[in-house]
Amino acid sequence: MEWRMWLQKIKDWVDGYTVMIDADMYIANRKRREKWDWRSIIDFIYEKDLHKLHNTLCVMCCVAFIGVMLLVVNDLPQYGNVNNPANNEVSVRYVEEGLEETGAVNLVTGMILDYRAFDTFAEANVLFLSVMGVLFLLKTDKKNDDKQQQMVRKKDAEMEAIEQKPIRQIGAKYLTPFILLYGIYIVINGHISPGGGFAGGVIMGGGMIFYATAFGKEKMEQIFTFRSFANISVGSLLTYFVCKSYSFFTGANHVGWEVPKGVAGNILSAGLILPLNICVGLVVACTMYGFYALYTKGDI
Amino acid sequence: MREIIAGIFICLGVIVFVISVFGVFRLRYILNKIHSAALGDTLGLALIVIGLIVLQTEALQILKLFFIVLFFWISAPIATHMIAKLETLTNESYEERVKDK
Amino acid sequence: MRETIQVILIVFLILSAIGVSVTKNLFMAVIVFMGYSSIMAVIWLLLEAPDLSITQAAVGVGVDSILFFLTLKKIHQIKGTEEG
Repeated sequence: MEWRMWLQKIKDWVDGYTVMIDADMYIANRKRREKWDWRSIIDFIYEKDLHKLHNTLCVMCCVAFIGVMLLVVNDLPQYGNVNNPANNEVSVRYVEEGLEETGAVNLVTGMILDYRAFDTFAEANVLFLSVMGVLFLLKTDKKNDDKQQQMVRKKDAEMEAIEQKPIRQIGAKYLTPFILLYGIYIVINGHISPGGGFAGGVIMGGGMIFYATAFGKEKMEQIFTFRSFANISVGSLLTYFVCKSYSFFTGANHVGWEVPKGVAGNILSAGLILPLNICVGLVVACTMYGFYALYTKGDI
Repeated sequence: MREIIAGIFICLGVIVFVISVFGVFRLRYILNKIHSAALGDTLGLALIVIGLIVLQTEALQILKLFFIVLFFWISAPIATHMIAKLETLTNESYEERVKDK
Repeated sequence: MRETIQVILIVFLILSAIGVSVTKNLFMAVIVFMGYSSIMAVIWLLLEAPDLSITQAAVGVGVDSILFFLTLKKIHQIKGTEEG
């Protein structure tokens, strides 16, 4: 009977009818292979009560990681050796001709603001972008605001109006000018002594935060509003870019037009490093104060 | 002579610091801990800096060291005051803790 | 003498780094992290990198801890504040 069936099948195939139905039936009736889902691991862990072991697992991971790190440290070359691969011609060039080429006594500032100025520009941009992200997330929008948030904000404002803080206010009154002065000193002396834009900017931002904690929102809005925040940070970023982009037009080698270097060690020296430092410091100070203001009251 | 005087001052300062750290660990309640920590912040630091001032010869260095003490004496009491204020405002069993036993 | 001080500082550094991850109280963890940052600043100074030392002290102790405290206040994790 076998050959009859085959004959029937061939006939059907010639007609082009039932074979197709067979194929459809096959597709409809085939067993689905079960797709493996990673969530089944979690079910498995909860079935066997393995999730109570996470402390042990944590410590084991840490120990394994520390072991790998110690192995790598063991293979590193000796600290301070002359033949280390880090001691190549680049650092020799920086140390020997850095003062002559950049005009900065502090070689670190000369490196990050002259040889590697675009890296610093990107770092300042990273800070600016992060404060923009926080701004999008946390800035209070008065047009669409739910009632609970309004209640919380009203309560906070009432609390702040009642709260008396004479000791903090006296301290802020006498300390803030000196903190700001110290920050400005660090920024301006960036190419002479240790410091520079980032450290000085953070100190300036810290002084502004201290003042804001003592005197509250209204007093701070007289000095520093959202408009001045936007103007200062965007303006200093643009100034930085304009100051440094002349390298593009002169073939990245400063040929043809050089900023006068001045006497090394003076404050007005080292070409463009001083204005660049001031720009970076302003951006960092604005960013730090912006973080604080957005976290506390949702507005700058 | 100068080194001996400076050494005496610095040793006194370190002893005060050790006492204050011991107090921070030994005492139980926050306000007592603050009292102990403030001892090291004010007296210990001042003694150490006086010892360092005796060692210095330049006027500018002495001025810088003096400013360190000045700013610490202004800012540390404010921070301590803030911690104490937080404790008195937020701890509900504050009155019972403060009473004489 | 200098090496002894460095070894003591590094031991404290590792201890405080472990302490940050082990502490269950988040408020305490931030304070331990401030201690970590100040020790790190001293180590940078001993490694003759004063620029990094200033930045580490200002960012790690000053601004970072303020932001951490504000975040903890926002998510109601400090003891004594509302709902937490």
